[in-house]
Amino acid sequence: METIIQTVDLHKHFGRVRALDGLDLDVQRGEIHGFLGPNGAGKSTTLRILLGLAKATSGTASVLGLDPWTQSVELHRRLAYVPGDVRLWPNLSGGETIDLLSRLRGGTSGRTQEGRDYRQRKARLCGAFDFDPGKKGRAYSKGNRQKVALIAALATDAELYLFDEPTSGLDPLMEAVFRSEVLAAVERGATVLLSSHILSEVEVLCHRVSIIRAGRIVDGGTLDSLRHLTRTEVSFAANGLDTRALAGLGAVHELTSDGGRVRFGADSDRIAEVLPALGALGVQGLTITPPSLEELFLRHYGDASVAAGAAGGEPEHARHRHLLGARGRD
Amino acid sequence: MTEVATLRILWGQRLRRDRWQLAIWVLGIGALALFSATAIHQTYGDDSSRAEILQVALATPAILMLRGLARGAGIGAFTFFQIFSFLALLAGMMSTFLAVRHSRAEEETGSAELIASTPAGRLTPAVATVLHGTAANVLVALAVFAGFTAAGLDPAGALVAGAATGAVGLAFLGVGLLVAQLMGTSRGANGFSAALVVLAYVLRGIGDATGTPDAGGTVMTAGPASWFSPIGWGQQTFAFTGDRWWPLLLPLALAAVSLGAAWVLLERRDSGASVWGALPGRVAARRGLNSPFALALRLQAGSIIGWSLGGLAGGLLTGSLGSAIAAVDLADSSATAVLRAIIQSQGASLTQIMISVLFSIVGVLAAACGLQAVLRLRQEEAAGTAELLLAAPVSRIRWLTGYLLLGTASVVLVMFLAGLGAWVSLTGSGDTSMDVWAVWETAAAQLPAALIYLAVPALVFVLWPAATIAAGWALLGAGVVMGIFGGMVGLDQGIRDLSPFTHTPVPNGSTTDWSGAWWMLAIAVLAAVVAVIGMRRRETGTA
Ligand SMILES: Nc1ncnc2c1ncn2[C@@H]1O[C@H](COP(=O)(O)OP(=O)(O)O)[C@@H](O)[C@H]1O
Ligand SMILES: [Mg+2]
Repeated sequence: METIIQTVDLHKHFGRVRALDGLDLDVQRGEIHGFLGPNGAGKSTTLRILLGLAKATSGTASVLGLDPWTQSVELHRRLAYVPGDVRLWPNLSGGETIDLLSRLRGGTSGRTQEGRDYRQRKARLCGAFDFDPGKKGRAYSKGNRQKVALIAALATDAELYLFDEPTSGLDPLMEAVFRSEVLAAVERGATVLLSSHILSEVEVLCHRVSIIRAGRIVDGGTLDSLRHLTRTEVSFAANGLDTRALAGLGAVHELTSDGGRVRFGADSDRIAEVLPALGALGVQGLTITPPSLEELFLRHYGDASVAAGAAGGEPEHARHRHLLGARGRD
Repeated sequence: MTEVATLRILWGQRLRRDRWQLAIWVLGIGALALFSATAIHQTYGDDSSRAEILQVALATPAILMLRGLARGAGIGAFTFFQIFSFLALLAGMMSTFLAVRHSRAEEETGSAELIASTPAGRLTPAVATVLHGTAANVLVALAVFAGFTAAGLDPAGALVAGAATGAVGLAFLGVGLLVAQLMGTSRGANGFSAALVVLAYVLRGIGDATGTPDAGGTVMTAGPASWFSPIGWGQQTFAFTGDRWWPLLLPLALAAVSLGAAWVLLERRDSGASVWGALPGRVAARRGLNSPFALALRLQAGSIIGWSLGGLAGGLLTGSLGSAIAAVDLADSSATAVLRAIIQSQGASLTQIMISVLFSIVGVLAAACGLQAVLRLRQEEAAGTAELLLAAPVSRIRWLTGYLLLGTASVVLVMFLAGLGAWVSLTGSGDTSMDVWAVWETAAAQLPAALIYLAVPALVFVLWPAATIAAGWALLGAGVVMGIFGGMVGLDQGIRDLSPFTHTPVPNGSTTDWSGAWWMLAIAVLAAVVAVIGMRRRETGTA
């Protein structure tokens, strides 16, 4: 595996705001890497540093083996970026903007084979995204502005694609188009870093994720390995069974009994230890809810909210924590 | 709810929304009438001095373009000649903007749809807009009347002048409302109807400049072009000399016809629809749009064309004024004192000073044109469009230098066109009393000060981005006030020396002192170099 993006102890301060607070990110060649975190966690700031648009306060970043701050032009020839909030030139049409951005990146000129390929690809993408390139920039909605940047990025071959919440303005149909285009780009050998605050988007597309909160990576790995960190919810009909044997197991947490049902959470990677005990009890009406990343994710979000809302003492967060019953990994 | 009650509500809403804006327009127009009449009283107190200046004017088409139809040397007629076309231009602008603001702009933002869904319907708002606009123009008419009367002019003539201003405004109220039906965006409708107002101003200018003077040289009969312009119709009232009312039927008829046409269109179209769809853009970019510089040129083209036309017009005016002045002996007039206060040069001739004064004003246009190129950098950064560009293989330095080059080129273009205009009109006048090459020298002399306004704001942009736009215009404004008008209001020399414009050389043959130009050029280059170096280390962002 070859490392495409690596940051070590990256800090970025805006006055007293620590947008990044020791961020270590690593993205391997050929993967779709999800960069997941709540609003304000520092995703856009990270991407802007990776692009050399912003300078890190301290720490190092390398992208495609280059220093983004000092070698940004060379770097930008090899990557494509879609900002979170795309702004267009009001009096340039969408088609003109796409052409301009692609031409700046090169390989789209005139009557060469490359030029023909580019025009073909642009036309295909405009069709797929159901996009009218003939309107002026000021006339596009948020979703259509996003499409301009997406089409410009996907119409040229790049080694690395950086997407900052790319689907925030797209409808579900267009999200599906985006997904298949990203998969096609990875087929071609590209690497993708996709920031998002929506888990489901990352869940369907990404091989690995890094979860960022308050400027640092709080969790990461493949989707499967993350799932193992969460708990499987188990419940069955109480029927007056003696559940003390269960409570003694190390894999079982927060065993409760109410409304005629017994419930507990089991460590997902140790679920096999629990099954014999359940069999011995002869439980009925058994339900086992598989682990979901949502829990893990909400746990990270939830912690942030608890910390932020400590003064208010909102019961909402407490309920989340109880519901998830997850053990902190950090 | 009755129609009348609805109408009252909608009109009240328009009044509330516009109260400050309308107050500024109306009081501004009234104050302009008052001050110009007062100033004429003071500067050209007696009939003979006015007759003298009128004779110069009538021989100078460029002056007539900017003034009006001369109808004798009486104080009222002279004031009407000086200022009416401008008052009417303002009334026209006020009315078209008002019409578009309460029609197409409302439809564009969707608030018209809210109103249309109430019992008010789709037509009542238009009636309210017409009422509102008519009231505004009646106020303008009264303001002009009051301004002229307060300055001591004949009230009967002042009433005619006021009515003529209001009638022109009404005509453009109708035109604005009609254009609002035709165009799909308020931007387009404002631009197009404002262009029609300017066209009316230019047409009457051509008519005035190509008219036939009488034997005395102080009374003019307008050429045919004036009859195609509502402002020209207003001039035909001959306020203060003839006090004719019938020409006002023409603008009123135009108002009626265009309102009728707007009504017909309004009744037939859907809310939000327009007769002319929005112009479609290109599906693909032209081959040339392939670099940051090409983009900068594309974005600045409108501004560059505008300032260049200003430069050309300034040059033409300079040439024709210069030759007119050569023909008349103004050596001891108060005007000379004013010119000498603006341009400080011992050896230069009066004609050369005249040219330097006018070119220093064109130099301000050139500086503004260059300044706008730099300001665009900041606008692009703040709007977020710069991010798209800088995430492509475009370095910050290439981006900045593209705009610096474009700014330099446009400064040179504006001054070149000014020189060309002056050269053509001087050569065309057959005036041999001065060296036409001095015109080119004077044009070149304006470049260093203008380049300062390119380089110093660029430095501000690099060091303190958020301040760029405010600082840019403030520096230019301060430079103009201290350097160009400083002498007229008796500013201290030390303060005047702070302005780049003070150091612009005044060519006077072989003894011209060019040191100021070289210093300013050096400062501009230094500031630009520091800006470029600083840009290497600067982050970009919207903050
Ligand atoms: N230019 C800036 N100036 C000051 N604070 C900023 C700036 N950019 C980002 N921040 C702050 O840094 C934090 C991270 O922001 P951002 O990277 O945009 O988060 P995300 O993209 O994950 O929503 C936020 O608290 C934000 O307010
Ligand atoms: Mg963001």
